[in-house]
Amino acid sequence: MTEKFDAIVVGGGPAGCASACVMAKSGLNVLLFERGQYAGAKNMWGGAFFGPQLKELFPNFREEAPVERFVTRHTFSFLTKKGSTTLDFKPAFSGPPSDNGFIVMRAKFDKWLAKKVEQAGAIVVTSMLVDDLLLDGGRVTGVRIGKEEFSSDAVILAEGVNGILAQKAGLCSGVSADNMKQGVKEVIALPKQTIEDRFNVNGSEGAAMEFVGSCTRGVPGGGFLYTNKESLSVGIVVELGALVKNRLKASDLLEEFKEYPDVARLIRGGKTVEYSAHLIPTGGLKMMPKLFSAGVLVAGDAAALVLGTGLILEGANFAMASGVAAAETVITAKKKNDFSETALRDYERLLREGFVLRDMHTFKETPRLLKNTRIYDLYPEVVFEVLENILENDGKPRTKAYKIAGKVIKTRVGFARLLSDLWAMRKMT
Amino acid sequence: MEIIVLVKEVLDPDLPPSKFSVDTKNNRVIPPEGIPPVISPYDAVAIEAALRIKEEAGGRITVVSLGNPSAEAVVRKALAMGADAGIVVSDPSFDLEDSYLAAHILTQTIRKIGKYDLILCGRQAVDWDRGVTGPIMAEYLAVPVATLARAIKVSDRSVRVERVLADGHETLEMDLPAIITVSNEFGQARIPSAWGVIKAVKEEIPVWSAKDIGAEDAQNKDNPGEGRLRRLYIPSYERKCEFLTGERPEELAAALVKKIYSRETASP
Ligand SMILES: Cc1cc2nc3c(=O)[nH]c(=O)nc-3n(C[C@H](O)[C@H](O)[C@H](O)COP(=O)(O)OP(=O)(O)OC[C@H]3O[C@@H](n4cnc5c(N)ncnc54)[C@H](O)[C@@H]3O)c2cc1C
Repeated sequence: MTEKFDAIVVGGGPAGCASACVMAKSGLNVLLFERGQYAGAKNMWGGAFFGPQLKELFPNFREEAPVERFVTRHTFSFLTKKGSTTLDFKPAFSGPPSDNGFIVMRAKFDKWLAKKVEQAGAIVVTSMLVDDLLLDGGRVTGVRIGKEEFSSDAVILAEGVNGILAQKAGLCSGVSADNMKQGVKEVIALPKQTIEDRFNVNGSEGAAMEFVGSCTRGVPGGGFLYTNKESLSVGIVVELGALVKNRLKASDLLEEFKEYPDVARLIRGGKTVEYSAHLIPTGGLKMMPKLFSAGVLVAGDAAALVLGTGLILEGANFAMASGVAAAETVITAKKKNDFSETALRDYERLLREGFVLRDMHTFKETPRLLKNTRIYDLYPEVVFEVLENILENDGKPRTKAYKIAGKVIKTRVGFARLLSDLWAMRKMT
Repeated sequence: MEIIVLVKEVLDPDLPPSKFSVDTKNNRVIPPEGIPPVISPYDAVAIEAALRIKEEAGGRITVVSLGNPSAEAVVRKALAMGADAGIVVSDPSFDLEDSYLAAHILTQTIRKIGKYDLILCGRQAVDWDRGVTGPIMAEYLAVPVATLARAIKVSDRSVRVERVLADGHETLEMDLPAIITVSNEFGQARIPSAWGVIKAVKEEIPVWSAKDIGAEDAQNKDNPGEGRLRRLYIPSYERKCEFLTGERPEELAAALVKKIYSRETASP
């Protein structure tokens, strides 16, 4: 067969589905390849979808999409061996849930996304691993699967983290473990009612909980716990390079994390029904590959467009937004029938005009600053000790809070170091 | 050679048991959310057999699936593998748990299709493992049947079939038209090519209802029945480990025998 497509998309995650959807809706002849048995089969995340991207693309998603719960409560905890300190953010909630987060399970959600892509008119082919690009002079002209060849005007690489095709296209040259985080997670089944009672949520409300501190044993990263409809997602995300250096295993850290009283209490009695692991490109702007060249564009995790501010991890919304920008670029290119590198430069402009590249710039120092291990092993303890000293009543005359804090900081951190860390952290989140 | 292949949509047999749950009230398996059903693996081998026959003798392959409208996906998979046409037979009134009814409905479908030389199906569907639909249809259509085929060779008006037996195989020859149920020994089902999938996506797959095939009476048809499903449950195996103590081997052996014959350990 010699049919030529307007665009071929590699990868059926949020980036690939969003781009295929937009292109198909505008009438382009689009083909999407996904290696999983179905879109989502191989994917995992925390995870909650933040921001309005979903709504912009699928105005009815609240009714249609398999959202587990809407985030109505977000907590941030400092964990130490001695105890924890938690910030519990729960906006008074009335009317329809806001865009603060939609908790979804990828196996169901990506499948739904792929269905939307088909409904938009694109062809989705699953169980197909694209293993090479067709090149003509420096120009990408299609993809190869085994002996089969597929040609197209444009190829959008939305293959996720560690994409081999982006490397083959010469857009990036491999990744380093220091720019990667590894996420491991368990899905723990619990009855709906138990979840609602334990997390103080009702109906479709849900909680997102982030943990930083001793649970990662000094490795940059943290733990998370998200409520699904009838299960919990519990996991940790840790820097790969530091894991290797410290001879730690993410799976062991997860086991320990589950034993912290803050976590153990919430997952008690549940049954682990799923275990998964995945990498996250968290190197920020510095690890971002070249985003396009003649006939090809990279979107989502494949382009390292992930924002980790230390508080939450945002990747899916960046993936979608970049997928849409790539699609719009191809649509314009098709009108002019020009897929040269110069013509595709629009992609970068669109990303700069939207939040994607702007956020990546705003937080460009964050990945480096998050490598400060004091965030994980020292400061959570300092916060805990200060509060411990303030709240402890041993019957003796008391000292003012700021003096207590001063004493703890002086002995545990040192003022100079604290000031320099704080000065650095102002650029962080 | 007009070949009809019957395929059934089943829950993926490779699913981990943790994904299964049973609605014990209605004696039904609750399909796991988000995980699509697959072609019953023996049926996939039947498609493979049809494709190889077609490659050798030429002809046309029509794939039929009786089930839910969602069976369209498995029919499309068969088209992607290389079948020429597909039909889904589905009607809310069908009781799909009864093999006699299923065979009746499929027979009506075959009659509507009209022309056929060979009907192939898997040796059994992996959900209930009954393996009777093919043979019952052979009765209804009054054609010869060979089960558990591991090799099939068609010549002009007849077919030679190697049947798997417990201790070897036997070779039969039948006149066409005939029905053959194909065993896994036949070989591996091919994986569809990407172009095959793309071609299949564009194919129209009609859904035939009870009315379309004249099976409105399927519910009332007098059938001998094959037993009723009383209870559907996930078997649970409990393991217990106990140490018997004693001074002498004879003593231990006696205690062990006693234990084995005690009610506690006797089979339920
Ligand atoms: C533990 C963890 C927690 C996270 N939590 C959050 C969160 O709470 N919120 C958030 O916004 N983000 C979160 N993320 C990040 C988020 O999951 C990613 O940023 C997002 O999925 C990126 O989307 P994508 O489409 O670019 O890539 P992916 O979702 O990785 O999709 C890539 C797809 O391409 C397919 N593919 C790859 N190569 C090929 C090939 N050669 N041929 C065919 N198909 C191919 C893959 O199978 C996959 O389906 C988390 C990530 C992890 C690991």
